[in-house]
Amino acid sequence: MWARFVRAYMIDLNFHIMRNRRIVFLLAALGAALFILGGPSRAADGNFPIYFQNSKLVLKAETINKTTYLPLKEIIEFLGLPYTDAVALETLTIRSGNSRLIVTNNSGVISFNDQIVLLPSPMLRQNDQWLAPIEFLNQGLARLGGPEYRYRPGPSRIFAGDVEAPELVMNAQSLGPITRLTIRCGAPINLDLRRDDQNNRATLVIDRAPVDPLRERIDHKDRFVKSISFDDSDGTPKILLDLTNEVADIKLASADNSRLFFVDLIRKAETITASPAPAEPAPTAPKVDATQPARKVRVIVIDPGHGGMDTGAKGASVTEKDLTLILARKLRAVLQMRLGATVLLSRDSDIAMDNEARSAVANNNQANLFISLHAGFSADPMEAGSSIFIMKEDFGGKFTTTSTPRDQLFLPWYLGYRASREASARAAKVMQEELLKTVPGWGFPVRTAPLAVLSSAAMPSLLLEIGNLNNQVNAQTLMETEFQNRLVGTIADAVQRFSESQPAPAN
Amino acid sequence: MPRHIKIGLIVLAVGFAVSLGFFVDIVGRIRTMVNERETEENPFTPPVQPLYSPTDPPITAKIFFPTAGGDALLTAEDGTIFKSAELANRAKQILQKVQEGPHSDKMFASLPKDTKVQDLFLSEQGTVFIDFSNTISINHPGGLLNELATIYSVVNSLTYNLPEIKQVKILIGGVEKETLAGHCLLLVPLEMDLSITDVMPRQEQTTAADAGPAGRSQ
Repeated sequence: MWARFVRAYMIDLNFHIMRNRRIVFLLAALGAALFILGGPSRAADGNFPIYFQNSKLVLKAETINKTTYLPLKEIIEFLGLPYTDAVALETLTIRSGNSRLIVTNNSGVISFNDQIVLLPSPMLRQNDQWLAPIEFLNQGLARLGGPEYRYRPGPSRIFAGDVEAPELVMNAQSLGPITRLTIRCGAPINLDLRRDDQNNRATLVIDRAPVDPLRERIDHKDRFVKSISFDDSDGTPKILLDLTNEVADIKLASADNSRLFFVDLIRKAETITASPAPAEPAPTAPKVDATQPARKVRVIVIDPGHGGMDTGAKGASVTEKDLTLILARKLRAVLQMRLGATVLLSRDSDIAMDNEARSAVANNNQANLFISLHAGFSADPMEAGSSIFIMKEDFGGKFTTTSTPRDQLFLPWYLGYRASREASARAAKVMQEELLKTVPGWGFPVRTAPLAVLSSAAMPSLLLEIGNLNNQVNAQTLMETEFQNRLVGTIADAVQRFSESQPAPAN
Repeated sequence: MPRHIKIGLIVLAVGFAVSLGFFVDIVGRIRTMVNERETEENPFTPPVQPLYSPTDPPITAKIFFPTAGGDALLTAEDGTIFKSAELANRAKQILQKVQEGPHSDKMFASLPKDTKVQDLFLSEQGTVFIDFSNTISINHPGGLLNELATIYSVVNSLTYNLPEIKQVKILIGGVEKETLAGHCLLLVPLEMDLSITDVMPRQEQTTAADAGPAGRSQ
């Protein structure tokens, strides 16, 4: 019995030792991992330009323990400051006039004229190279009488002193068959487009350095573009486009005195021209099927009103921005199917757009018709609310004909509507007739107003104000699929009738 | 109850009443001090000037408001203002009437809640610049017809009653804004538009229009 007890005890002890060994082994592995990973982590960074007033210095930056380090000697040599590198003491002394700055290896404490300055990260001396954290530039080097340095966490560039760096804003948007990259710069620039078709890349070289991009990379991916990023690692600012196989053409157009650029990525089969550049040849007309009547309205731009933060009118269960987008998408499908026309939406997602950008989509794509969709909201819940709006006749006329020379200097862009005011009135009348047939009782009077979205649209244009979201029953009807289909079908009927009544286009 | 407890309770009650009195007094003093400081911090608050003097004769002005039903977007109701010497003061009186809203229940208020006129000034060419508070945009319920009604109730009320005012330029929050609620362009000064109302042009305005711009002055 004793023997059995002792054996059982031994087995138990063995088991305990095995288990303890396992725990010890795990702890040892964890310790080793911490030792390996916890040590100074290094990663070679890309180039890091410092822009001075009339020159630039491109450095190789290194990231050590999540801190960006710059090679210090290169900077002080560039600035022309004398220095002494005491290898035995592991100190570096930088001089400027009577001032003296001493830094020590592995220490965040630096001495400026015997005054102690504490850096957030230590200075490092590795392989004969002194590495300084970026903060050293302002907290240390700038005290020697040099310029102040401007640096934002994240981007890999520094601006020294008063060097002017205009802000660069990039934005990308899918606009139906094209993808548009909009670039806005605070100062006039020139873009040079270089294509590398073999690698599906395109580079837009900016002729001005430096620029300060708001974002280094745009989070936009679609069937034309894989990535859009800003790069100035070699001191030359450029925008890199990583494209897909589908892109055949890239059109570049500038506006606002070379401060605003539109880069349109176009598929090979598309027949539209997205660029308003006057030097471009006229767009090739699409091949018209001989059995079909000639289409006079070939490109239609539909503008779903509001979007993003701008919700528009709010009904009990629906907001104007959502309703207009639903209707616009349906209308696009019906118009493409029925007319075979190219139909573009000014926005195809819940984003905010200003009115000028909306009509610019129509102008830049040489649209033959521009329809802005809105939902009504009347103070009176019993009001029908619906209307068809066109631009107010002679709007802005008196303001521009003032015979002061200053007025003649600028282009009154909001007068773009005048070119097609009559055709717009005709389109509105056709639209009214069709809508009264299928949606009787909703009113749809043709009204005129000084509308921001139509004022600069240089083609027949109208704005549909549908329903009254202040009326709960009306708002519910607007959300019914059957009603929406009937409504967009009717609008498509009107567009078709208008298209047939239009004189054939010149091209 | 023993006598000493009664006396104790009475003393406590008296003490409580006295301390309550002190507390109320101190709170009152702190309030007046804070109020005094606020007025001290803002010593440049301009005194409110009366918009008219007691000798100014009353005149009837047509104030435009959105209407319920009917084809017209706006209709007008009569309001009384005083013919003050300064045109800006007359314009301010009219804007006060627009802000007050209609008296008839067949009309609606045209300006959103808490809308204030921050400033108003006139140019020599007959353009009145009105700077509305941001609330005119923030509190606006939206809808194109609504926005049109808000804008033209102001524009028409001013230009109809004060022929010296030819155009109205609306500023919001002290700056030029493209639109008020996303639809109507405000970059250009706006003129009177009676086509959206059921009001006929004034007699002198029709004759002035016939006679040309020179005949428009009152």
